[in-house]
Amino acid sequence: MTKHILVACGNGIATSTVVATKIKEYLKENGIDADTTQTRLTEVSSKVANYDLLVTTGQFSGDTHGTPYVLGLSLLTGIGAEKTLADIKAALVNQEV
Amino acid sequence: MWSQIANGFMSGFQFIINCGPTVMLPIIITIVGLIFGLKISAAFKSGLTLGIGFAGIKLVLDFMTTNIGPAAKAMVERTHVQLNALDVGWGSIAAVTWASPIIAILIFVILLINIVLLILKATHTLDVDIWNYHHMAIVGIMVYFVTKNVFLAVGSVAVMAIITFKMSDWSQPMVEGFFKIPGVSLPTVSALSSLVIAVPLNWILDKIPLFRKSKFSIKDAQKYLGFFGDSMIMGLLIGLAIGIFAGYDLQKILQLGVSMSAVLVLIPKMTSMFMEGLMPISESAQKWSQKKFKGRKLFIGLDAAVIVGNPDVITTALIIIPLTIAMAVVLPGNRVLPFADLAVVPFRVAMVVALTNGNLLKNIVIGLAVTASLLWCGSATAPVLTAIAKSVGIKLSTGGSLLISSFAATSMIQSYIVYFCFTWHPEFCVPILIIIIALIWYYFDFNKHINKAAEAEEVALKSKNN
Repeated sequence: MTKHILVACGNGIATSTVVATKIKEYLKENGIDADTTQTRLTEVSSKVANYDLLVTTGQFSGDTHGTPYVLGLSLLTGIGAEKTLADIKAALVNQEV
Repeated sequence: MWSQIANGFMSGFQFIINCGPTVMLPIIITIVGLIFGLKISAAFKSGLTLGIGFAGIKLVLDFMTTNIGPAAKAMVERTHVQLNALDVGWGSIAAVTWASPIIAILIFVILLINIVLLILKATHTLDVDIWNYHHMAIVGIMVYFVTKNVFLAVGSVAVMAIITFKMSDWSQPMVEGFFKIPGVSLPTVSALSSLVIAVPLNWILDKIPLFRKSKFSIKDAQKYLGFFGDSMIMGLLIGLAIGIFAGYDLQKILQLGVSMSAVLVLIPKMTSMFMEGLMPISESAQKWSQKKFKGRKLFIGLDAAVIVGNPDVITTALIIIPLTIAMAVVLPGNRVLPFADLAVVPFRVAMVVALTNGNLLKNIVIGLAVTASLLWCGSATAPVLTAIAKSVGIKLSTGGSLLISSFAATSMIQSYIVYFCFTWHPEFCVPILIIIIALIWYYFDFNKHINKAAEAEEVALKSKNN
């Protein structure tokens, strides 16, 4: 089943494009079927309930309505990126069971 | 023979320019991509993606001006509120910037300045976020358009770059301290520029106990004002309001509302094509530079998008957004009709929030001062921006009366000052500007040692390596 990931940043354009692309590449290599939707941080609370995972490029402290959340800052700086990608994979795979 | 080759080259160049941005962008970006070491197929795809993004922006802008243009005109005639410079958003301005014939030169000037400053150890910020170069490049494009002088254009971009990298250095302790993001600085002009006003104003406000000790806070601001942060709803409301003030009938008011909602949602979708196309180039620059500057303690330059999710930033922005609309109406001399860039108010206030350590009362006062500067500078430079947009083939359907503006480009105080100095008696203003920058530089780096933590780490790294 296709997983739906919401990727949010300040304007839903710049950093979220970078993070979304990296997530898609990684999940494809790992055989997980997923698509991403980009949005602005101020719109997360009203959209997030329909998604399997939320990834933001900066800190976010709003209501995620129970959707799992991973901070994606490391995918921009490259420091700790491997672990973040593994976390994203784990968050998606856990839902299968 | 040489003159024949030169002539051939020039006429070829002219031919490409005459094809318009949708053809020129793929060609120029492909060349830039090749210089950055991309494979030809990847470089060409990057270029083509930018060309597609520009075509998309053009479509949306055309749709926007055909709909809102006549309504804004009718509103001005009926209410005598002189708001005829439509805020088309930073994304549209970025598209115009990337579509300029001299953009390739300016990109390399900015990158070169960064590398030279890094080698001289005059900055700690490594900025290979090529996408955000557009904020610096637009100043050069506007200077070139006004003066027709490439040297002034390049000079203005170089000054923009130096100010931006230095301000990133100086604000890095705030980014680490307030937003808890270590090792990162934010060379994004759209966020940094506010500090030009915020730092002196904050210093003054701190002399007044009422502001310094303020514990003012608004509970549940996000819950009740949240719709101001939702583009869809904002577009709809502004469209409906303009329709009403224009004296439209109900049917046309509703149509305008949905059309404007569509514009606010579609512009970012088109703008993201530019980001997508530029990503491989940025990545390649990042890999190269991290190898090159291995063993140095550098701040990685990121887009300020990573800090605007902070709850204090969002609360401040949600309060400033409606006040911006109100201020546009009452501010004497303002012509900017705020619209698309209401979505990026969080960027304009983000650094202010860090500076005041989340003091909401000071944030609102400083935020409003920043807003006033955006509206005034935006009004002053709207005619030039409009002429540039027309020169890259963006049609403004309502004839001569409608101008375009935004909260980006030279609406921002940092960019406005540089633009002003390089176009109004540069022989006199530019030296003064450079002296002022040098004094501020001396104050922060050699008097206050604002980056002493990073300097110490760098020395430690070096002694370890030896």
